[in-house]
Amino acid sequence: MRAIKGVLLTCDPAVKQILLLLNEKESFIIEDLDDHHLVIKAEQEYRIRKELEAELEKNTYSLES
Amino acid sequence: MPSAQNTDTDNDGKQHVQHIIIPFLQSQSQNTLTRLYQRPSSCLSIFRLLSPLERQLVMNLLWLESAISANTMHAWVTREGRKLYDEALVTLSRLHILLTATGKLALNPTFKAGFRQAITGGGSTGSFGIPAEQSDKHPGIDIEGLDAYALERWETILHFMVSSGTGQQPTRPSSGVLFLLQRSGLMSGSQNMAPQITSAGFQFLLQPPHDQLWDLLLQYLRLTEERAMDLVEVLGFIFMLATMELGREYSIENLGVHQKAMLEDLRDYGLIWQRRPSSKRFSPTRLSTTLTSSSPPLPTSSGTNSGPQEGFIILETNYRVYAYTDNPLQTAVLNLFVTLKYRFPNLVVGSITRDSVKKALMNGISADQIISYLVTHAHPQMRKNNPLLPVTVQDQIRLWELERNRLKSREGYLYTNFASQADYEFVLNYAKELDIVLWESPAKRCFFGSIEGHANIKGFIERRTMGAGP
Amino acid sequence: MDCSHLSVVLDLSPAHWQICAQHPQSPLDLSDFLSQLLAFLNAHIALKHENSLAVFAAFPGKRSIVPTLRPYACSHPVSHSVMLYSSTDPPGDHPPQVDPNSYPPFKLLDSAVLSRIHDELDDSEEPSALVGALTKALCYINRLSLGQNTDPRILILSVSPDLSTSYIPIMNSIFSAQKLKITVDACQIFGPDTVFLQQAAHLTGGAYLYLERREALLQYLIMAFLPSPSIRKVLAVPTQDKIDFRAACFCHKNIVDIGYVCSVCLSIFCQPLPVCSTCRTKFPIKTIMRLRSSLPPSDLASAAPSPPTMPLQTRPSQNGTQNGSKH
Repeated sequence: MRAIKGVLLTCDPAVKQILLLLNEKESFIIEDLDDHHLVIKAEQEYRIRKELEAELEKNTYSLES
Repeated sequence: MPSAQNTDTDNDGKQHVQHIIIPFLQSQSQNTLTRLYQRPSSCLSIFRLLSPLERQLVMNLLWLESAISANTMHAWVTREGRKLYDEALVTLSRLHILLTATGKLALNPTFKAGFRQAITGGGSTGSFGIPAEQSDKHPGIDIEGLDAYALERWETILHFMVSSGTGQQPTRPSSGVLFLLQRSGLMSGSQNMAPQITSAGFQFLLQPPHDQLWDLLLQYLRLTEERAMDLVEVLGFIFMLATMELGREYSIENLGVHQKAMLEDLRDYGLIWQRRPSSKRFSPTRLSTTLTSSSPPLPTSSGTNSGPQEGFIILETNYRVYAYTDNPLQTAVLNLFVTLKYRFPNLVVGSITRDSVKKALMNGISADQIISYLVTHAHPQMRKNNPLLPVTVQDQIRLWELERNRLKSREGYLYTNFASQADYEFVLNYAKELDIVLWESPAKRCFFGSIEGHANIKGFIERRTMGAGP
Repeated sequence: MDCSHLSVVLDLSPAHWQICAQHPQSPLDLSDFLSQLLAFLNAHIALKHENSLAVFAAFPGKRSIVPTLRPYACSHPVSHSVMLYSSTDPPGDHPPQVDPNSYPPFKLLDSAVLSRIHDELDDSEEPSALVGALTKALCYINRLSLGQNTDPRILILSVSPDLSTSYIPIMNSIFSAQKLKITVDACQIFGPDTVFLQQAAHLTGGAYLYLERREALLQYLIMAFLPSPSIRKVLAVPTQDKIDFRAACFCHKNIVDIGYVCSVCLSIFCQPLPVCSTCRTKFPIKTIMRLRSSLPPSDLASAAPSPPTMPLQTRPSQNGTQNGSKH
C-alpha cells in the first residue's frame, strides 16, 4: 500500500481538460482519478489556479472595454 | 456571515435568524445571567431578542405561580410545530430563562420577578434610567440634533473603513474605535501602519446598520474581560439604553463605575450624546433606543438630505445602476461592486459588470450580500416590481460567483496500491468511520483522505501490520 | 416586517360589570379587570418594538353635560365609543413623568387608558355601544394598514349579552374584517355566550373563548389571544367547537331558528312577507301561499297574511345553495 501526499481538485470536465492541457506544458498531475477529480502536487496549486484563471479569462467577453 | 449563526425555519417558511447576542449570552455562567436578570430592563431587552415562539412561551409561563408539567405544555403544540418548539425550549434553558428540571417547566425565579416588574412597572431598581432634571441653563438636544449626531458618528466609522487603502484621507475615528475595528478583524494593521479593511470588513459594510451595530457591540463585550470590567454592568447598561426614550436626558448619577467608563466609548459609536465629556447627563440616540427592534437604527440611514429615505437604488435589466444619493459613504459602498460612470449632484450612475463583481468577490464579498444590499436599499419605485430585482442580473451575479469556484481543492493523501480488495475495504471502512474520505474508487482500489485523518490512518495500518507480522 | 397590530375593544357597561363583580363563584370587578388587562396590553407591546396597539371602549349611554349642543342626549341617552389609546398617535397633551422603574411606552399606555376610562365612565343602565367601538377599530386598522402588512387583529372583551338590534351592524363589521383580512378574537368574560361574537370569531379565523375562571383572566388572555396568527400554527390556541350560527331577523331583530331570505338582497325575516322591506322587491303570491302553508302551526298564528320567499336554515353551507337560486 502507498500513501501519496497531494491536493485533491474537484472541478467540471471542461476545466479538467484545460488542466490536462496545462499539464503537457509543465507536469503537475500526480493522478487522474475521474472526470471530476485530479490529484496534483500541493506546491503547484497556486500557479495552476493563476494559469487556469488566465486561460478562462481569454474565453470571456464583455460589452465594456 | 458574522451575524447569522443559527437559523431555524419560521412556521410560515420565513427564516428566523437567531440574534447574534444570544449565543454570547448562552456562553455566560448562570451566575452572570442571574445577576443580569435582576434588572427589569435587561429582562425586557433580552426577551425582545428571542424568536417569536420563544417569546410566546415565556409569556405563557410568566404569570404562573407554580411549575407546569412539560406534557401539559406540549399538548398545545401542533404536529408541525414540534421541532420549533423543542428548539425553543433548548434555547431558553441555555439562557437559564427556563428551568426544565424534573419534567416541569418554570421560569427562572429571578427572570420571572424581573420581567414581571418590567411589564407592570414598580420596584426600586431604577433599571430604566434616572431621568435628569430639566434645566433651563443647559437645554437638551432635540431629536433631529440627536439623529444628525448619531449619523455623523456612525458614518465616520464606516467611511473610514471603506476608504482605507484608496488614498483618500477621511476623518479618523477615535483610537478606541480603531482599536475595536482591528480587534474584531474588520480592519488589519498595527499601531504604526495605516489600518486596512479586511474581507470581513467588506462584508460588514454591506450588512444592515442594525447588524453592524450589534457586531461591534459584541466585540466590545468580548473586550470587557480584558479590561477587567464587569460584564453584567456593561450588558445591563446596553440593555438599559435599549429601553430608554429618545429625546430625553438621563442622569449619570446612578451609573456604576464601569458604566461611567463606558460613556466615552458609547459617545464614539454615536450611541449616546453628551454636551461635554464631563457632563452629568446624557441622551441616548436612535442607535441605542432601537437596539432591540428591527426598525432602522439610523435616523435617515440613506441620503442625508436628498433622495427618499427608504431606498435610493434603481437597478435595470441592462445592469445599469442609478443611485439617488449624494452621500459619500453610500457612493463608496456602491463603488465596492459597481463600476461608477457619472456623478451628478444627487445621482450616481454606474453599471454592474463582470469586473466590478469580480473585484467585490475577491474582497470577500459574496453574491448574496450584493443582492441583499441592493434589495435593502432599493428605491420605492423598484418596490413595485416583482421580483424586486431583475432576475437576469441576480442570476448573472450568482453565476459570476460560481465561475470563481470552478475549482475546489482539498489537501490530503491518496491511498493506493492495496494488496487485496479485503485490505482496501478494511482501511476504507476505518477511514469512513473517521469521516475523512473525500473520494473513493473501488475499481481503482484507491481513495483520497483529508490531511487531518492521515495520522490516524497511518497508525491504523502500522498497528495492523505489526499485529499481522509476528 | 413581522410586526403585528392589535386593536382591543372593551365593553365597559357599568351595569354588567357591577353584576360581574358580585358573581358568587368567581367575581371580577372592573379595577381588577383593568389591571390584568394592562399587563396583557403591555405584554403585546413587549413582544416587539414595532408592535402597534389601539384600545377602544364602548360606553353605555351618557347624559350630555351640555344639553344645548346635543339636545337629543337629554331624552335619549346615546351610547358612545371612544378610542382610549393608540400607539401611532400618542397623546401629546401631558406626557407622564418618566419613572426610572418602568418602561416609558408601558407607562404612557397605562396612564392614557386609565385616565380616559376615568373621564368617560358614568353609571347607566343602557347597553353599551360595542358595535360602534368595533367599527372604529375597523376604520382605524383600515387607515393604518394602507400599504403595509401588519397582520392586524381585533380582540373584543365583552361582558354584555347579545343585543339583537346590533345584528346587522355586527355582520357588516365581520364582512369588512374579512375583506381587510383582520382576525377577530372574542372573549366573553361574563354572562351568557354571545352568538354574534362566536360568529365573528369563526368567520374571521379567530378564537372565541368563554371565560370560566375569571380569576385567571390574564393567563387566558396571554395563552389564547397574545399569539399572532403565525405563532398559532405552532402553539394551538383554545377555541370552541360548537358555534351558534343563528341570525337575527331584520324586521323584529329576533334571533330566529328558521327565517325567510329575500332572494334579491338576502335580508332575513322571521315570517313570509309580500314585499321585501329592504329592497322593495315584490314576491309572487304563489310562493307566499306555499311558504305560509308550510309554516309550523305555532308560527301560523303569528304570521301575517303575506308569506314571501324561501325558508332559511341558518347554516352557511346551506345558505349558499339556497342563495344560488336567486334571479
